[in-house]
Amino acid sequence: MALLQISEPGQTTAPHQHKLAVGIDLGTTNSLVASLKSGLAETLADTQGQHLLPSVVQFQAKDEIGYKTIVGQQAQDNAANDPLNTISSVKRYMGRGLEDIKKHSIYHFVSEEGSAVPRIRTVAGDVSAVEVSAEILKTLKQRAIESLGGELIGAVITVPAYFDDAQRQATKDAAKLAGLPVLRLINEPTAAAVAYGLDSGSEGIHVVYDLGGGTFDISILKLTKGVFEVLSTAGDSALGGDDLDHTIVDWMLVKTGIVEPDASLLRVLLDKARAAKEALTEQDTTLIQIHLDEKLHSQSDQQTSWQYELSREQFEQLIQPLIRKTLVPCRRALRDAHISVDEIQDVVLVGGSTRVPLVRQIVGDFFSTQPLADIDPDKVVAIGAARQADVLAGNKSDEDMLLLDVTPLSLGLETMGGLAEKVIHRNTTIPVARAQDFTTFKDGQTAMAIHVVQGERELISDCRSLARFELRGIPPMVAGAARIRVTFQIDADGLLSVSAKEETSGVQSSIQVKPSYGLSDGEIETMLKDSFSHAQDDLDARKLREEQVEAKRVVEALLAALEEDGENLLSAQEQHTIQQAIDELSEIAEGSKQRAIKLKIEEVDKITAEFAQRRMDASINKALAGQRVNDLHT
Amino acid sequence: MHTLEQQYPENYFSLLGLPISFDIDKDLLIKNYHEIQKSIHPDNFANAGDRERRLSVQKAAQINDALNSLKNPLPRAIYLLSLFAIELSENKHVAPEFLMEQMELREALSQVNDKADPFAELDVLINDVNTRIKHSISQLSRLFECLLATETGSEQDNKQQEQLELITAEVLKMQYLNRLQEECLNKEEDLAEQY
Repeated sequence: MALLQISEPGQTTAPHQHKLAVGIDLGTTNSLVASLKSGLAETLADTQGQHLLPSVVQFQAKDEIGYKTIVGQQAQDNAANDPLNTISSVKRYMGRGLEDIKKHSIYHFVSEEGSAVPRIRTVAGDVSAVEVSAEILKTLKQRAIESLGGELIGAVITVPAYFDDAQRQATKDAAKLAGLPVLRLINEPTAAAVAYGLDSGSEGIHVVYDLGGGTFDISILKLTKGVFEVLSTAGDSALGGDDLDHTIVDWMLVKTGIVEPDASLLRVLLDKARAAKEALTEQDTTLIQIHLDEKLHSQSDQQTSWQYELSREQFEQLIQPLIRKTLVPCRRALRDAHISVDEIQDVVLVGGSTRVPLVRQIVGDFFSTQPLADIDPDKVVAIGAARQADVLAGNKSDEDMLLLDVTPLSLGLETMGGLAEKVIHRNTTIPVARAQDFTTFKDGQTAMAIHVVQGERELISDCRSLARFELRGIPPMVAGAARIRVTFQIDADGLLSVSAKEETSGVQSSIQVKPSYGLSDGEIETMLKDSFSHAQDDLDARKLREEQVEAKRVVEALLAALEEDGENLLSAQEQHTIQQAIDELSEIAEGSKQRAIKLKIEEVDKITAEFAQRRMDASINKALAGQRVNDLHT
Repeated sequence: MHTLEQQYPENYFSLLGLPISFDIDKDLLIKNYHEIQKSIHPDNFANAGDRERRLSVQKAAQINDALNSLKNPLPRAIYLLSLFAIELSENKHVAPEFLMEQMELREALSQVNDKADPFAELDVLINDVNTRIKHSISQLSRLFECLLATETGSEQDNKQQEQLELITAEVLKMQYLNRLQEECLNKEEDLAEQY
């Protein structure tokens, strides 16, 4: 235990005050929220004692304060009776376009004029995947507040490692709509590794095989004293337990001779398929009984009930091709990490679908090791996320892990001839920033469009379009004279941001982002407005509060910084100036003028910019000096 | 007269607490990298103000770039050359004898499938390429040691130019060899999938 409590930037000056933060596993099939309670990470249950929240949202109506929905088990039970309004596995639609939605989808998708994001038509209106996910997050947030007895400062939300930028951004947008500040997006396999790593504390190379409801990830990580480094990650963001269920449904359709099942019937068949899959984990054979309610189903042929015996052997035949498909990313990940199977310490299984015996067998054979599933594969991700949430909130401990994750997909730019030129390679440790120089091709050209994609292929058309960035404000020059340096940065959440500067004049370009599969800022603004009863007033109140929270953060951080480094890094005059600025900001933040607070924060940022740089450099020197001291002792 | 460290105070070696040199203590590099990231990584600022978060992301990205540039011998050599204002381009000349060797090696690689024991053949080839790469590395080590020991000054500039040219030539060779090694590994993977 530390004898001296040293305040770090971002923490309160009362270091013993515990900050409430949670980890959220927003899964395809089930979602969970977890938090640290008395030092142990555990999932939080609802009033009925249920930990898993089925990721199912039933839309009933819309009023002035938002959607009226039922979320969770109740919604799942209602699904068969209300298939078009009850959305499940919405994660499969996050960050996706209309063309991506597979044939098995039973929902009525529509596209909206001027929006890159498809909507599902429900009785409550046309809803986007982001809004559906927000409903799930709202439920989990409420559960956490009730369970922990206080307001949350934020959440760590997990995403599949193989999620692209659009899918990640959609997740963040959902959190914004739910009023849940995101501390960090963490990759699911990394979260699972944290949960396992802290238990065993064993150094070495670990593999996480994560087969969820809708996605597959494999991550290879290296654990050394307090540092978790992802060596490589690969996967398939459209392959999961749902697809295993679909093989059984297809088998049932063949056997029953039903050609075009309606939405309700499909829902029933999927539920039966899942139940059968789960039963075959323990049993060698299972009986599937389908009984149609004549009132519900239009296929009023002679037969309304069927009964089939499905053996484990037959089931394994159906799913084997899909499981083998997961080995392709496994091979790629090993290759990218430059390691062979015998260097691996252990393989950890994550995700409900890894309970299927054939999965364990194939994975065990491939890695020549008995895979581990000690921690409940349904809960392990949320638990790891909760642990990190606690650290990120500022509650430091001796067991803190530094997570060094990577970007899963290469980032490229469209160049002449429809080719994709890679700017940032996959499996590069994040954060990462790369600069690329461009020039104009017409005299007096003042704007430029850059098309950014993600993927490994050579042709733009084979990659995933991310966004179009329009650079404006390029000073007019002769063609080819301008040198525009565009910097691509992927942050710790795995999200891309772009900045551009014309080097010869030093002019910063303004950038307009047009996401290819995401909600625009305007759309989110509208959605936020729609969920407030007195639209403009409440939205303004929320904005004011956010600005005040930001002001508080800035003040607290600066006070702590002055205490720690004021004496050694600043002159007396500088300290005085900064203290004055802090006092002025504190005062203005008490008021209710949002704009004034924002301007003051900007001013304080300017005044303290130099101090921040010095602190950063000092931090690095201290880290290196600590190393040299260690060397002396060895 | 300035040392390299004085000329480029934010150079990647100094940033990671190492002297500017081609030969490095790799363990120290990794240890320093970990310690620095522990103190400045964005995870330390997840709950801090906007400006702190932005600054931390930029710095962490710079530290990551530094590590990637120094971790392996080829990028390290390229980075060292950049400190002498030398940027490599595809058009630079490589000795014709070297190119001949490369073509022969590539041909050998393409014929691996036709041999009685493709795996064994490929193994021999991979070892050959690895040996050549090791030789290149020791060449670079010697050349850089010479270069960095030479003091800058007008009489020495010609000598320095010579050394830089030799180094550049060796780095270009190593680029070819690395690409060849990559293709050998691709071939190995293809063979493994066939059998």
